[in-house]
Amino acid sequence: MAKQYEIPVGAQHISLLEPLHFKFTTENEKIVDTSANLFYVHRGIEKACCSKFKFRQVSFVVGRVCGLCSVSHSTAYSQVAEKLIKIEVPARAKFLRMLVIELDRIHSHLLCLSHVAENSGFEALFMKTMRHREAFMELLEAVCGNRIQYDFSIVGGVARDLKAKVAHMILGRLREFEPQLSELDDIFRNNWSLGLKNKNAGAIGLADAIRLNVVGPFARAAGFAIDVRNETEDLLPWKAAGFKIVTGTSGDAYARNLVRLGEIGVSMRIIENVVRGLPDSPLLTETKAFPEGEAVVRIEAPRGELFYYAKGNKTQILERLKIKAPTFSNIPAMVEGFKENEYGSVPAIIASYDPCLSCTAR
Amino acid sequence: MKRIDTSVERIKGDIADFYRPDKQHFIVMNAMDLGEKIEVQWFFNEYAEPYETTAFCTQISPGTEIPSISDIIPSAWVAEAELVDLLDLKIGNTAKGFVLEPDFATGPLRKNRQDGKTI
Repeated sequence: MAKQYEIPVGAQHISLLEPLHFKFTTENEKIVDTSANLFYVHRGIEKACCSKFKFRQVSFVVGRVCGLCSVSHSTAYSQVAEKLIKIEVPARAKFLRMLVIELDRIHSHLLCLSHVAENSGFEALFMKTMRHREAFMELLEAVCGNRIQYDFSIVGGVARDLKAKVAHMILGRLREFEPQLSELDDIFRNNWSLGLKNKNAGAIGLADAIRLNVVGPFARAAGFAIDVRNETEDLLPWKAAGFKIVTGTSGDAYARNLVRLGEIGVSMRIIENVVRGLPDSPLLTETKAFPEGEAVVRIEAPRGELFYYAKGNKTQILERLKIKAPTFSNIPAMVEGFKENEYGSVPAIIASYDPCLSCTAR
Repeated sequence: MKRIDTSVERIKGDIADFYRPDKQHFIVMNAMDLGEKIEVQWFFNEYAEPYETTAFCTQISPGTEIPSISDIIPSAWVAEAELVDLLDLKIGNTAKGFVLEPDFATGPLRKNRQDGKTI
């Protein structure tokens, strides 16, 4: 047996966006075992939401759980609170929520792809992808008034309407981005050196994805067709807006890149349909009811299934709020995915997992 | 949400009878301090229609040990480790310290903590 070495990566490391710590046991540069510590940023948000804030304020608090998928959190919370106070959200608000969620998914996927490129040693592609992402950040600012942490979804509806000028700007940007997306797809699909770093890297097969309850693009890249948008129409009309599931087969970093690129295309179609077919209705349903009983909501955030459980007791303060972020579900698969890979592939694999630790630790 | 109330003695057997990896998706575990009791919940969702969420629920006295289900659902260890730290539960052999640092307050989501504070 060759000599084994333990190599720590993180909590602070040049290839990491967020504080996470992996300890790799390697044998001739090959990873034979991995352990993880991912909870350096626990902020006690669930406790704060059940003690310091009234239930209508909580949508603004959970919007701060994550900078990347802020609108997924505030929408999921708003939906679960709306179930507890038994109100129906106006149609226009539902469509506007979908619009911002999909704009958010595009910028989040482009961020992930840019970091995969950077961690694979392809600096020019990192710059190019981030430049495209910037245009979507500007659109989000135009729609919501903020580049991140939008405070767009609130209990009962949305906080802002879509101005005609901004709708025009969105459609123009989508037209511009179509050839740019095709170019990115061509590079991620066919570039030889990127393929060397990403093909067979961090692979999780279909059987393991099912066994480990993997969610999001991580699961879909393995051919596991799980997407909350495909399952439910009652809270947001995804299929009417043009949703189609995107899956891969090989389950490696290469497949995850292609699934994310495919999903950006689907998000663009949804955004265009929403902007062109925005129903005319109020933005908010107002009520003075207090939350009562318990309810759950699942929503497809950029990284996968986001789950909210809430229990109300007819007061302004919730009895319990539970948040399960997508990365939380993917931790067991992330740990297993490193096995049998070269240690040199670790940065690219981590980036392709697209972990979000501020969501996970809350 | 479909709620199935059961006892701590039966919970593992009930989940073993219910869970099929290709049919149901294990979402997460949750627990909440009800005062005298702690309610523990295990959430599942169907992969095919009807896409229903099922919650197995059991109420325990503080200090009661809950069986680990990570031999039935290998990914459940993360959810178990989280509740061990955040609600100071005993779940099989799950050790403390995965979610919270050793110097963090024990069971921050529990009511009536030793320091007298309640949430």
